[in-house]
Amino acid sequence: MTEAALPLVLRGVSYAFGEGELRRPVLRAVDLEVRPGEIVLLTGPSGSGKTTLLTLIGALRAMQEGSCRVLGQELAGASEAQRVQLRRRIGFIFQQHNLLGFLTARQNVAMALELAPGRGERERLAEAGRMLAAVGLGDRGESMPDQLSGGQRQRVAVARALAGRPGLILADEPTAALDRQSGGEVVRLLRDLARQRGVAILLVTHDPRILDLADRIIAMEDGRVVPAPQADPVRTG
Amino acid sequence: MNALTRPAPAFGPAPDLEPALLPWAPERMGEAPPPAPAGAPARRRFGPVEALWLPLRLAWRQLRFEKARLASAIAGVMFACVLVFMQLGFRAALFESATALLSAMRADIFLMHPMTIVSFKPEPLPRLRASQALALPEVAAAVPVYLTQATWRNPATGVRRAMQLVGFDTEAGVMDIPGLAPLTEALKRPDTMAFDIRSRPEFGPVARLLGERGPFEVQLGHRMMEVVGLIEIGPSFGADGNVVMSELNFRRVVKERLPSQVDLVAIKLHPGADRDAAMARLRAILPPDVMVLSQPQLVQHERSYWETATPIGFIFMFGSLMGLVVGMVIVYQILFSDIASHLREYATLKAMGYSNLYLGKVVLGAALLLAVLGFVPGFAISVLLYDVVGKGTFLPLGMDAARGFGVFGMIFGMCGLAGLLAMRKLRDANPADMF
Repeated sequence: MTEAALPLVLRGVSYAFGEGELRRPVLRAVDLEVRPGEIVLLTGPSGSGKTTLLTLIGALRAMQEGSCRVLGQELAGASEAQRVQLRRRIGFIFQQHNLLGFLTARQNVAMALELAPGRGERERLAEAGRMLAAVGLGDRGESMPDQLSGGQRQRVAVARALAGRPGLILADEPTAALDRQSGGEVVRLLRDLARQRGVAILLVTHDPRILDLADRIIAMEDGRVVPAPQADPVRTG
Repeated sequence: MNALTRPAPAFGPAPDLEPALLPWAPERMGEAPPPAPAGAPARRRFGPVEALWLPLRLAWRQLRFEKARLASAIAGVMFACVLVFMQLGFRAALFESATALLSAMRADIFLMHPMTIVSFKPEPLPRLRASQALALPEVAAAVPVYLTQATWRNPATGVRRAMQLVGFDTEAGVMDIPGLAPLTEALKRPDTMAFDIRSRPEFGPVARLLGERGPFEVQLGHRMMEVVGLIEIGPSFGADGNVVMSELNFRRVVKERLPSQVDLVAIKLHPGADRDAAMARLRAILPPDVMVLSQPQLVQHERSYWETATPIGFIFMFGSLMGLVVGMVIVYQILFSDIASHLREYATLKAMGYSNLYLGKVVLGAALLLAVLGFVPGFAISVLLYDVVGKGTFLPLGMDAARGFGVFGMIFGMCGLAGLLAMRKLRDANPADMF
């Protein structure tokens, strides 16, 4: 497979906050590739630049230096409109569920489908219902987010991230706000659904309990990707 | 548990991935686009209805969710709406009542002295001008009109009050006043007059007395005059009540008045005559101490005095504007706090690929929904208040379609502006800060 066909290719990406003397580099010449269907965990201490990297890849931030190709779209010099377009093809999962409190679970999932024209309301809601069933919440479609437990909300967020048939999933510590059991369930669900669809996942985490899910673990320190002892696919049985 | 069946992903074709299912767009990479899977949505834009409907629906769902906030926003818009309606209603009613006397005088053309600025302080013009106007062949008749004020003694209580007197040749049929036609015969008799039924009640229960006893005498000025019938004019700023009488009876009441000094001349044209042409010719032949006006122009002349020479117009425009500003601030506050308390959700939507334009449409949609939701009850309350207040103040308060649409436009604009201001808060919903 050529490099162009990879969902994610970073070459020499650097990023700094601030100007002049206050300039503080957070990313230094990061190279990274994610292959189709691969599940990559990004770990490292706070301040190592993981989150900044994720926001760059997610087209939430303008690039400064280097090249970042996400799903075939070069982000260096991309316009705001191009970045908005790209975000529609990426599924985001946040630390908090960030569901819209005034919509039901099903309507929240359907929000990911309303971005693409060509489907009627009935189809969108049916598809959202199927996504909720896939995360095991088929019977909670009409619940408001505040009637759901933390784990259920995060599962709705997973359904929402996957509903738009994204080419890449970015997750930022999706288990941080959850207890051990529900956190593990959510991430396994995410992995299984992504595998079925052949979608790559880039997941930032501090949580050692979910390291075994990864095809590959990348450690970051001080804005650089460092060789990590677990950088090989974990294959414990 | 998670033993992988396929080899660790390596560089090279991934055999288990069908190219047709690649979730990103191969056409961007210069590859041949795969055949579109059956039923896959074509890449096209939203229709205009859907592009407006979906954000509007999201706005409505958000508004609906917080009932208390929605209620206070609607109350704010309603308040502004009622305030503007009342201000504009009072303004129109005052101008309308200010010109009630002149509006009730129906004739084709009027002559007035150019220095007359308002009808209750008229500058007299020579009676001769009425005869001169007859020089034009299209003029059928011209009658002088005398205006003055005299005291009227309330027939029930004996209290005296200033009354507007209108004297003209009531038989000539040149000038009509609502209700006057059936009274022309009775008004020929000496010392008779017709009373304005819409005069303020302080003048006494004239209509009731007339019904009970038939024509009866009332002291007007220093003379006893007989009320023979009722006409309809309405109180104006200059006078609380009106009586109409023949020219001769007018002279009997107002003895000091020179008959040669008239206040207005009413002109009737032959049927089919061109009024504008006749007015132009009158201007050409009459000396410059005469202003030639049509009836609407006469009313407008009076009205412009109240609009420009008094602060009435300004006061009510200012009141309306304040209502709109207060309403706008309320709507802005509601929308602003709505956005501020949902920044994370808005940022999430942005991260999902919703554009600023879309979210702007949501905020503006919410503003315009509030406009509609607040206007409807505000309109209903205003109609009710017009009725109640109109009856209490004898002001001609009435809702008309033009004012209804006008105020709706103002409320719509007010909410739209508030929405545009609140939209700036959306910039703070930065998805890069979400991670």
